[in-house]
Amino acid sequence: MTTTAVRPLAVTAEGVVTPAGIGLGTLVDALAGRAAACADPQQLPGQEVLPEPVRLVEDLRLAEHVGRKGTRYLDRTTALGLVSSRLALRGDPSGDPAGDPAGDLAGTGVVVGTSAGSLRSIGEFARDTLVRDEPYLVDAATFPNTVMNCCAGQIAIWNGLRGVNATVAGGQLSSFHAVRYGRNAINAGQVGRVLLGGVEELCPQTAWGWRATRLLDPQLPIGEGCALFLVEDAQAAAAAGRPAVAELLACEVESPGPVDARPPMAHRLARTVTRALERSGVRPGEVSLVAPGATGLAGLDAAEQRAIRRTVGADTAQLRVKDVVGECFSANGALQLAAVLAHWRTHAPSGAVALLTALGPDGSAGCLVVRSTTGSAS
Amino acid sequence: MNRRVVVTGLGAVSSLGIGADALTAAIRAGQVGTGPITGFDTTGFPYVRAGEVRDFDPAALLRRVTPQRWGRSSLLAAAAAVLAVRDAGLDRADQARLDRLRAGSVMGTTSGESQVVDRLAAEWVGGGLKSLDPDLVAQVPASQIAVAVNTELGLAGDALTLSTACAASNYALGYGADLVRTGEADLMVCGGADSVNRYNHAGFYRLGALTEEVCRPFDAERQGILTAEGGVALVLEPYDRALARGARVYAEFLGYGLSCDAKHMVHPDAASIAGCVRSAHRNAGITPADVDYICAHGTGTPTNDVTEVAAVREVFGDRVPPISSIKSMLGHTMGAASGFGALVCCRAIHDGFLPPTANLRAVDPALGPDLDCVPGTARPADVRIAENHGFAFGGNNAITILGKVA
Repeated sequence: MTTTAVRPLAVTAEGVVTPAGIGLGTLVDALAGRAAACADPQQLPGQEVLPEPVRLVEDLRLAEHVGRKGTRYLDRTTALGLVSSRLALRGDPSGDPAGDPAGDLAGTGVVVGTSAGSLRSIGEFARDTLVRDEPYLVDAATFPNTVMNCCAGQIAIWNGLRGVNATVAGGQLSSFHAVRYGRNAINAGQVGRVLLGGVEELCPQTAWGWRATRLLDPQLPIGEGCALFLVEDAQAAAAAGRPAVAELLACEVESPGPVDARPPMAHRLARTVTRALERSGVRPGEVSLVAPGATGLAGLDAAEQRAIRRTVGADTAQLRVKDVVGECFSANGALQLAAVLAHWRTHAPSGAVALLTALGPDGSAGCLVVRSTTGSAS
Repeated sequence: MNRRVVVTGLGAVSSLGIGADALTAAIRAGQVGTGPITGFDTTGFPYVRAGEVRDFDPAALLRRVTPQRWGRSSLLAAAAAVLAVRDAGLDRADQARLDRLRAGSVMGTTSGESQVVDRLAAEWVGGGLKSLDPDLVAQVPASQIAVAVNTELGLAGDALTLSTACAASNYALGYGADLVRTGEADLMVCGGADSVNRYNHAGFYRLGALTEEVCRPFDAERQGILTAEGGVALVLEPYDRALARGARVYAEFLGYGLSCDAKHMVHPDAASIAGCVRSAHRNAGITPADVDYICAHGTGTPTNDVTEVAAVREVFGDRVPPISSIKSMLGHTMGAASGFGALVCCRAIHDGFLPPTANLRAVDPALGPDLDCVPGTARPADVRIAENHGFAFGGNNAITILGKVA
């Protein structure tokens, strides 16, 4: 077991796009019950029927963020990623703390969590080989959209980010793997700062797929969203005088295979939490907020709550972002982090600690420890 | 912690054979594994060849990961991982001594479970999206590939699938090596997997990237790639642990470099690739003069080969080491490609040979003079340091450096 302390990552800016709206501020309002997330399936481009309930990003107008030129063939996954990247790197028009556009863009990397890329783009492309007059009469201009790293590649192209460019698939743990991968890339000297997070688009293919598997509570919405965080080594940020909104402490994962094997899921998650708190130098009693990730997932929800009770106690406040954004699979962890930052905008003493957890139907368990630094670093 | 990392096990499931020995023998002989496609109905396709694994019987290698619950890419990955661990001499007793939480997998892929997606697309056409088979849907996430490896081998640490397209295995190797180097893990199984499938074949044809008959990297008449499939896995562990258990060491993982052109999704950029080579050299603590062999990305498209050689010349000047492409034999195994490259580099270092470029008739004069592409069959050579290239959609470049343990 590795129990050495991790080097904290400073979050210096964020770009968040959710069914609550564009920017973290809209998520603050939605979590506080002051605004509603979009639940109208008619707002999704396309003619297909969606299985309700859903949550989706209304008015995703890519051209308003990046200009019209060159956007014609970009898909929704890429659009969600591009808008989020602009918010993180150039600031939010609604007045959120701005990133530093003059920062070292060429020395910035991208690490994006994904399930399998844009399943609409891939599914429609595969379908075209079956329904067109000839199987090869597919649209070459949309072929790059079928490749899973399309979103990360476009984020690099549109922002001139020439560092490490990774797309990570870890199921429900994808966004946590983005944190682990990004931290290693920085510690290993491969890159100075990283834009990391997760993206998931709502599409008929994914929505009907979720309903077919019955893995998700039928009352709970299937959603979409993207959250990207500009991070760098916390000591480096402090030395350069760049203020941080939060620090990402330890992030631990386990993937021993199927849910029905031993040890039980609650045990797996509890073990990662214990290890993560130790590597973060945080006592269980210091955790004042838990953002669970398995909410609504058959069988896993209860296991997650057991693990939380065992490690940080039953009385710790919980923040359920899925109530607002819906089930967002590989983006869940990033959206849990966005929700914690949103919550801390109104409730946080500096130094508050949050625990984010995740469990997946593939048997994986993981967690991320986050500390609020607002007010202390500036 | 800064531990030396070595490769002690190699596993391959490829069109040129099952197992690293079979693959290496075929590569040395310059055999070509590509041929007529049997995995999907090619009716209506002008080009009908690819590099398929025809004699893959998952049940012969896998006990927990079964075709009923896992897609083809996961099966290929898990089978390659089983072979790699066996090759590393890690029997069950050794595994029992290993802390399972300190062992995991990082696997690269371009298209994940693409054959599963093809089948779901057919269900969509046949009965609508409401008719999707839940068992197939559950196989779609790309993460399944690494989870399959952990499941089959009983590993409990990281299971991460890196979906960085055709540079993915090198990304996986670099990350896995860092996890071992820094003490996060004591054993990582790293590599990649992809499956030949209908929609990628259509897409590459439509892009104009496919060749009709054989893949001829560096040849004056090269036309493009052949899509291919396979699973490949390398066992990475700390040098000290490998020594302590008396393991055979194929090579030391010396370092890697990553970069992103940030210019175009499909056109490579020579200056950016040259920068990636230099950063890989820096990371590995070597200079260009140390490199004895370059395992090229070498797709056989007109654009890749001319760009790649230009980048190599920019770094190496007049002293370009022998450079060859195993894609001439395997085809383009996509996310597994740089993993196969790494495997072949390990064997080149360990066994002492330069892997060849097959199907090469006349080197393209546009690539410049005195380019040793090792045409035909392998040549005996002392390879101390090998440089393994992987480039990808999205302008991604990833280069790994492997060397003889000194």
